[in-house]
Amino acid sequence: MLSEKHLSLLIDNLIWIILVVVFIFFVTQSEHFLTERNISNILTAAAVLGVLVVGQTFVLISGNFDLSTESTLGLGALLGLWLIVPAAAPTFGGGIFLNPFLAIGAVLLTGAAIGYAVGCLITFGRMHNFIVTLAVLLIIRGFILAFSEGAPVNGFNNPSADIFYWLGHKKAFFIPGIGNITVAVVATGLLFLVSHFILKHHKFGRELYAIGGNRKAAEQLGINANRRIRQVYMISGLLAAFAGWMLAGRVVSIQSNLGEGFIFTVFAGAVIGGVSLQGGRGTMLGALGGVLLLSTIDRGLNLMHVSVFWVKVIQGLIILVAMFLDAQRVRLRELSMSLSNETFEKKVGPKDEV
Amino acid sequence: MNYLEMKNITKNFGAINALQGVDFSIKAGEAVGLMGDNGAGKSTLMKIIAGNLRPSSGEVSVQGKEAIFSSPLDARRLGIEIVYQDLALCDNLTAAANVFLGRELRSGFGIIHRLKHKAMNERAAELFKELKSETRPKDLVEAMSGGQRQAVALARTRLSDPKLVLLDEPTAAISVRQVSEVLARIAHLRDTGHAVILVSHRMGDVFQVCDRVAVLRRGRKIADKPIGQSSPEEVTGLITGALEAV
Repeated sequence: MLSEKHLSLLIDNLIWIILVVVFIFFVTQSEHFLTERNISNILTAAAVLGVLVVGQTFVLISGNFDLSTESTLGLGALLGLWLIVPAAAPTFGGGIFLNPFLAIGAVLLTGAAIGYAVGCLITFGRMHNFIVTLAVLLIIRGFILAFSEGAPVNGFNNPSADIFYWLGHKKAFFIPGIGNITVAVVATGLLFLVSHFILKHHKFGRELYAIGGNRKAAEQLGINANRRIRQVYMISGLLAAFAGWMLAGRVVSIQSNLGEGFIFTVFAGAVIGGVSLQGGRGTMLGALGGVLLLSTIDRGLNLMHVSVFWVKVIQGLIILVAMFLDAQRVRLRELSMSLSNETFEKKVGPKDEV
Repeated sequence: MNYLEMKNITKNFGAINALQGVDFSIKAGEAVGLMGDNGAGKSTLMKIIAGNLRPSSGEVSVQGKEAIFSSPLDARRLGIEIVYQDLALCDNLTAAANVFLGRELRSGFGIIHRLKHKAMNERAAELFKELKSETRPKDLVEAMSGGQRQAVALARTRLSDPKLVLLDEPTAAISVRQVSEVLARIAHLRDTGHAVILVSHRMGDVFQVCDRVAVLRRGRKIADKPIGQSSPEEVTGLITGALEAV
């Protein structure tokens, strides 16, 4: 029987244990898996997902959902390139030729504004976060289709679009045994580090946990929950736009359906990593584990030549497993607590009370 | 001089008049029992004092100066602490995190800071020791008994040295032994110069530790007298309406 300490350690690090097991599995299934090229691909593919999961983790911990980020990602990618490239074929941009840095600024500002607007609808409008973000997801996607008339925007051989390729594609440095590390991977890694610090060591993070755990109590103690919720949605929108910038740098052509369906993978990544859908629980490092696991599985199945249709089935099953684990985590916590109480009473006798 | 003075306090929630023209005051070193049936307005009055609600009309003054609370933080700054009936605890946080919630110890400047976990854990441990509780600062609150949870809520009030402590039904969900310890603590607060407002349905508790009893019924204060000049029977009659205002 596991001790309380060991069980607690197991629960907290389950994602990393699963990641190692899955990694070893794929190593045995394909000779191309444990190569620098493949590891680099896993990390690069994880970067965009990772950025979205960071934003979603902040929102989930505050006790909310944000379904709109996949559309904001698509809008960010499309808008950014559209502002830069010529209107004529083959780029089909806006012909505005905006300075690339200003274009990126506009993209990030748009993402933040969308997020803030969502937060305002939820707090001032007192509307349910699930419905609001679902509606915004549809509205933005519809806007993208109407605006682009279904046509892609391309950055073919356009030097102005290099700012996208810099973030999405450019190699930052090389690590032996791991491979090329792109700017995107570095940026996402730094983002996870900073976000982890904010959640664990900053008042902002502490207040998010409190709001997600017991919003009423948080407000009774003077925490402005509505303001924090607007802020997390703004962060989520900003990061979605940033992910759009990153993704635009990896694909040559921005289709109007870019990012469609991605939101499920984002939720899966967060939940698999231990972030609770009920709010107030989870860590950024756990979410990172979830992102790496999903990316590893995706690449592993690809190398095993598993049909894309079955990959969809497997992704759905992963989401189910993630939800199952989230539901069971409560039971595992209770088991851990009961072991803790037993150990505590053995040390000091029955719990003394106030 | 009264530490807290409330004059003609009214609070409306739409068409509901939760408080109507209530006057209330308390001095340092005084314990007042606030009693009344459900819906009488006790919690509303407490929330106004604690800064969670603003009165629709009326004046609140602390130590002779007008006080307008836009949030509980304003009330705390003036030395008012409250222990809520539901204790206002976040189960997903540790005991120490709950104690310091809203006023975390930080190192740094402004937005660039870092929480001082070690210092908060150590201070929380000291507070639990003073309260004679075995609560451990790093334990999650969800794993705690009712008495331990109350220790966490009480420890909050000792972070600063409050002038006025509000206790909303502090003995409602604890054992007999724990009740006597809580009452002893209330008496100690009073005897050391703190003002205490005790909201309770338990007549025995109020008559044991309080100097005065105030009774609310349907949003109005219908009695406010020294404990020695009243009795549990009289207070019961006032609460139920069997007796009119005295």
